This record gives sequence, structure tokens and C-alpha cells, in this order.
Amino acid sequence: MKERSVRVIGLALAMFYASFIVWLYVRQPQTLAEVTGGLTATIGAYRINQQAFDDGLVLFRRDEFEASRAAFGRADPAGQDARTQFYIAYSYYRSGWGRLYQDNALFRKGLEHVDTAIALAPDRRLVVDDPELYIHSADELRAELAEGLRIEASDFNPLRVFRKRK
Amino acid sequence: MKAATEAVYLPMLFLTVALLGGLRVDDRVTFVPPPLFALVLGMMLFGVLVRGRVVAPDRLMSASRMPLENLNGLVVILSTFFAAAQIFNLVTPESGLPFLLFNVFLFVLLVNTLAAFPDRVSVLRSMAIITGAAFILKFIVLGALSSPGEGVLKRVLYVLLEGATLGTLSQPILHPAAGYIAFATLSLFLVGLAMLPARTRSEALIKLNA
Repeated sequence: MKERSVRVIGLALAMFYASFIVWLYVRQPQTLAEVTGGLTATIGAYRINQQAFDDGLVLFRRDEFEASRAAFGRADPAGQDARTQFYIAYSYYRSGWGRLYQDNALFRKGLEHVDTAIALAPDRRLVVDDPELYIHSADELRAELAEGLRIEASDFNPLRVFRKRK
Repeated sequence: MKAATEAVYLPMLFLTVALLGGLRVDDRVTFVPPPLFALVLGMMLFGVLVRGRVVAPDRLMSASRMPLENLNGLVVILSTFFAAAQIFNLVTPESGLPFLLFNVFLFVLLVNTLAAFPDRVSVLRSMAIITGAAFILKFIVLGALSSPGEGVLKRVLYVLLEGATLGTLSQPILHPAAGYIAFATLSLFLVGLAMLPARTRSEALIKLNA
């Protein structure tokens, strides 16, 4: 191989490898699925597993939230799909919601996923047109989860037991 | 130096060191960018390499070289610098008093090496000793001190040490794989340093007429 070709190929390889390293340090992927999913999402080629997503949706609507999260996790193993992340966050909200108190650990996980959904959405705006949901926008869901984690005077209002789960 | 070494092997090797230097294996994998002081130490190490003739910058970038060759040379210089910074990130403890002490000692050692005007072999040997000693202190000595262990006596000693040092000595418990990854990274770095284009000492032949 000619020296010039070696130099050009080496330069291209080094640029690609350096970009990949910077990407790893910025995105901090945890699994190989997250690495491959993140890279394919970067070039717009990432696709969720539609069958698993549909399964998750059915389970979500039956209030089987833990099972629905497992299915959604299978559908979007790399955590790169805003809509799936929204449903995972919503399932944490519904799992953690209670008339007398809410489960803060589940709400925190919900907050993490809704933040991911917002970060992934175009222009950070995500609206899910699902007539069976009470909350359609990711911002609204985030506010609901964040409010649940705050301790406020209204938390001690006895009339809270009559509020509805969204 | 061969084109493949300059354009492919050295950048790949040093970029791999830069990647692995910040890798932290725990219950989750994280990539830690170099702290500011590691960048300072990396810059000083690069200065030591130039001064000790381990690397000759004019053999990587100069007006007599083609633009493409200069670009390859720039990649080698930058990747060497980032690898050096990440090596210090790797061998420096994560927090507390050891973090401060290690940084001060490494700084003093590098200043001393800079002032000594050593030759290539001495610099390479010095680098192996500095990084090797820091590796042993962090991954073996501090690693053992920071691990509570399973025996009752070791747990008691651990609690006593924690109390005596007000918790400033102990470090996060290291994953069993961390030491092996660090060892491989250090070895790669030292191999890379030895492969850098060195400045050869010019010698004059003088014939004396007796």
C-alpha cells in the first residue's frame, strides 16, 4: 500500500476513534446495547422492537406496570426512544402513586426516564397522543413526578385522599 | 519512522490508553474525564519526553514535511498528551488525602526530572518507575487498606484505621478487574512511549593528527 494511502487511512481511523471516545465520555453508556443503540441513533438508524413495545402497552393499560416496564425495556434496550422512555416514566408514576403517600424511589426513577425522554425528543418537546392517558406531555409528567417528590404543606391536606391518579 | 507507525499504530495505541485511563469498573461502568491537575501533569510529562529526547517534535511536525505528514504528527502529539493526562488520572487516587499527596509527589517528581536533563533511556526508566510505583500504591496498598475484607480482625483494623485517619485515607473499594485494566493500560502507554520517534544524539567524528 502506498505511504499516502496509509497516512490518509490512519488519519481517518484516528479521527473516528477519537470521536467515539469523546462520545463514550459524554454519553456514559452502561451496556453494549446502549453503545450500539447510541451509535445507530446518532446516524438516525435506531429502531425499537415494535412487538415488545405493543406488549408493553397492553400490559401498561392493564395496570401491570412492572411487567410493562420489562417489555418496554426490551423494546428500547439502548434507551434511545423518547416515546418508550415516556411510557416507562409514566409506569413508574402510576406504580408509585398512592392516595396517602407516594413511593419516592419509584418517582425518582420515573423522573430519570422522563428527563431522558425530554432530552431525546426533537426540540425537547414530547407529546404522546394516547387517549387512554391523562397526561400527554413529558413536561407535565415531569412536573407531576417532581411535585410528588417535594414535601409541601398541601401534602398534609386530608382531602388529598380524594384526588385522582392521572 | 514508518508511515504506518506514525499514522496508525501510535495514535491507536495512545487513544486506547486515553480511553482506558478514565474507565472505572464498579457495579456500573463509568468514564471519568481527566481532572484539571492531570492535564497539567500530562503537559509536564510531555515536556519531560521532549527534553529527554524520547520524542522529537520536529520529526512529527516541521516545515520540511508534507501537510498530511504534519497532520499525522499532530495526531500523535495530541494523543500522546491525552494519554499522559489519562495515565495520571488512572494512577491517582479518587479522593481524600491520598489524592492530594499523590498529585504533589507526581508534580515534584516531574519537576525534578525536567530539571535533571536526562537522556532517553533514563526518562523511559523514570516513567516506568513513577507510574509503576503509583500503580502499586493505589491498586495494591491503598486498595488493600480501603477494603474492609471478610475476617473479623481485618474489619477491626479497617475500622481503627478509618477512625485514626478520620476517613481521609480510605478510597472507594476497587473492582477486581480494575487493577488488571490499569496494568494493561500502563503497559500500553510505556510501549507507546518507547515507539515514539526519538531524537538521536548527533556525534562528530574528529580525526586527530598525532
